[in-house]
Amino acid sequence: MNQIPVTVLTGYLGAGKTTLLNRILTEEHGKKYAVVVNEFGEIGIDNDLVVNADEEVFEMNNGCICCTVRGDLIRILGGLMKRQGSFDGILIETTGLADPAPVAQTFFVDEDVRRRTWLDSIVTVVDARHVVRRLEDSHEALEQIAFADVILLNKTDLVPADELAQVETRIRSINATAVIHRTQRCEVGIDTVLGRRAFDLDRILAIEPDFLSEDDHEHDDAVKSVCLRTDRPLDGARLTEWLQRLLVERGQDFLRTKGILSFAGQDKQYVIQAVHMLMEGTFTKPWNPNENRESRLVFIGRNIDELELRQQFDACIA
Amino acid sequence: MSLPVQQGTTSLLDRAGTGRTLDAYVVGVVFLKDGLLAAALGDGRVAFVNSESINSPSFVSVHDGACLSLVVDLGEQRVLTGGDDARLVSTGTDGETTEIAAIAGRWVEPIAASRASGLCAAVFGKTVSLFAQDGRAVGTFDHANTVGGLAFHPKGRRIAAAHYGGVSLWWAKQSTQEPKRLSWSGSHLSLTWSPDGKYIVTAMQENELHGWRVSDGADMRMSGYPTKVKSMSWLPKGRYLATAGAESVVCWPFHGKGGPVGKAPLDLGRGFEGVVTVVAAHPRHDVVAAGYEDGATILVQIDRDHTILVKRPGKGAVTALAWSADGQHLALGTESGLVGRISLSDWRTPS
Repeated sequence: MNQIPVTVLTGYLGAGKTTLLNRILTEEHGKKYAVVVNEFGEIGIDNDLVVNADEEVFEMNNGCICCTVRGDLIRILGGLMKRQGSFDGILIETTGLADPAPVAQTFFVDEDVRRRTWLDSIVTVVDARHVVRRLEDSHEALEQIAFADVILLNKTDLVPADELAQVETRIRSINATAVIHRTQRCEVGIDTVLGRRAFDLDRILAIEPDFLSEDDHEHDDAVKSVCLRTDRPLDGARLTEWLQRLLVERGQDFLRTKGILSFAGQDKQYVIQAVHMLMEGTFTKPWNPNENRESRLVFIGRNIDELELRQQFDACIA
Repeated sequence: MSLPVQQGTTSLLDRAGTGRTLDAYVVGVVFLKDGLLAAALGDGRVAFVNSESINSPSFVSVHDGACLSLVVDLGEQRVLTGGDDARLVSTGTDGETTEIAAIAGRWVEPIAASRASGLCAAVFGKTVSLFAQDGRAVGTFDHANTVGGLAFHPKGRRIAAAHYGGVSLWWAKQSTQEPKRLSWSGSHLSLTWSPDGKYIVTAMQENELHGWRVSDGADMRMSGYPTKVKSMSWLPKGRYLATAGAESVVCWPFHGKGGPVGKAPLDLGRGFEGVVTVVAAHPRHDVVAAGYEDGATILVQIDRDHTILVKRPGKGAVTALAWSADGQHLALGTESGLVGRISLSDWRTPS
């Protein structure tokens, strides 16, 4: 059975999520999508399958306090698999007040979902006018940006250029790895949103190191990105043990962790992905013999002590 | 002892059965009167196959989307199906369809029928709706979460609904009531009620089963599965509960005092590749049909662990198994659309 790509659309109330969804569905792309929405109404597309969901967030009994999943999604994705070959991808629209963690964790936790689908990317639509204020008063708005692989900075026509640059800097300080597109009425090419395989981390290689850490000194619960890197090979066992312990102990503060790592004695890249304390790591493609085998590890979260992490990371150098 | 699957091993399907592909995911199979077989498919069709005509099934387009659930209607002449088009439909073998109910946006699964009470029940999201045999709606029960599992008490007087946090027990013919709750934290995905009415068992998101003794609500946990348990089936008289979800057929003992508490389950049919996806206990003998994720299907005898190959691996995971009421016929369906039927009229319990 082929695995089906899933794109998650998030964004605070009024940011333009439904506009983006309708844009994706009406564009001539020759593909059919199953669309999971929370309410019927604004979407009226004949050719696609629209499924009503209830965002039932369930706690797992696996001893992990922050491990929640979307029970409705597990059921819906299982049901959709019975319609073999009748669609090419799945779009999941979350409500404006949704924390994206349970959706992302569903793709880590549930074996059936993992076997049949892959999380292609989390796309977050941001209202350029209001986002800075939302980040002050809304936990969810912050999480939505922190979890994004792709961010549409929307309604840019309503914001002066210098203010827009500040907004983008603020977003970048939270999430150093997301691709940011400036849009008006969510006008983007579909291929900038779908089929990204963005969850597979290539973006980490594109992080501008200097961009990080310049905006750190905010209030304590600020979400920020920290990127650790080294040219020297890592001790694989020591590094994974450290990360597992770190995420078990501090998983509630660490929203997303991603890394491409070079282990001593290994020709292949080791890629890790985590959502809160759920982590998975696999060896992927071989390092190119001519490339600099630089390991990069990115944390997006709260209360991150960069210096402490760096020391612990350096202790894992082989 | 398990029968290894080797080149040249003849299966019952090869020897005493017929099979063909119906080109869609097989959601369920059931036998109707007179040996007629019905299959509900992932493209919304229902196929009827009689014993002679497996190569010329009759198809009825029932749902706009996928069939999600299938039971035999009370008269055993029709089938009831729920679909992802939010409709509950009764379909006759002549192709006539009657919509029983529809609630916009609500997938219809699971459904259950109780011959003892003459009632059918179907889940529309968080609501369980009850219907009389003529399709009249006779009650609804609302829940805080989506209902994943549904079963009548063997006598049909009560109905149990599994959901997040446990099970709600309702009296089928009482209009206003507070349900009795059996609580256990976590998401309960499916449910079965023992043939003697004493036990309720749910399959959970966490790769385990949870059971309750209905009389006093005593809990029992049945764990150790490598995957979610997608299928459970009671052996005759409820002596054992056969379950899918492991690399063998795990059968929990429910005879004797205390049910399975403190007892090890039987672990049958080892030696095949992959995980058991569907089980169906024989209606009369201590025999279980079990289908695997690689498509292999076996019969295994409870007390001897004697295994017979029903179907060789291939054609996708087994998704459906059903016995005829007399236990003479077995039907199976797979993910890639194979439907097979095997006649066991000349097969005896191996001695």
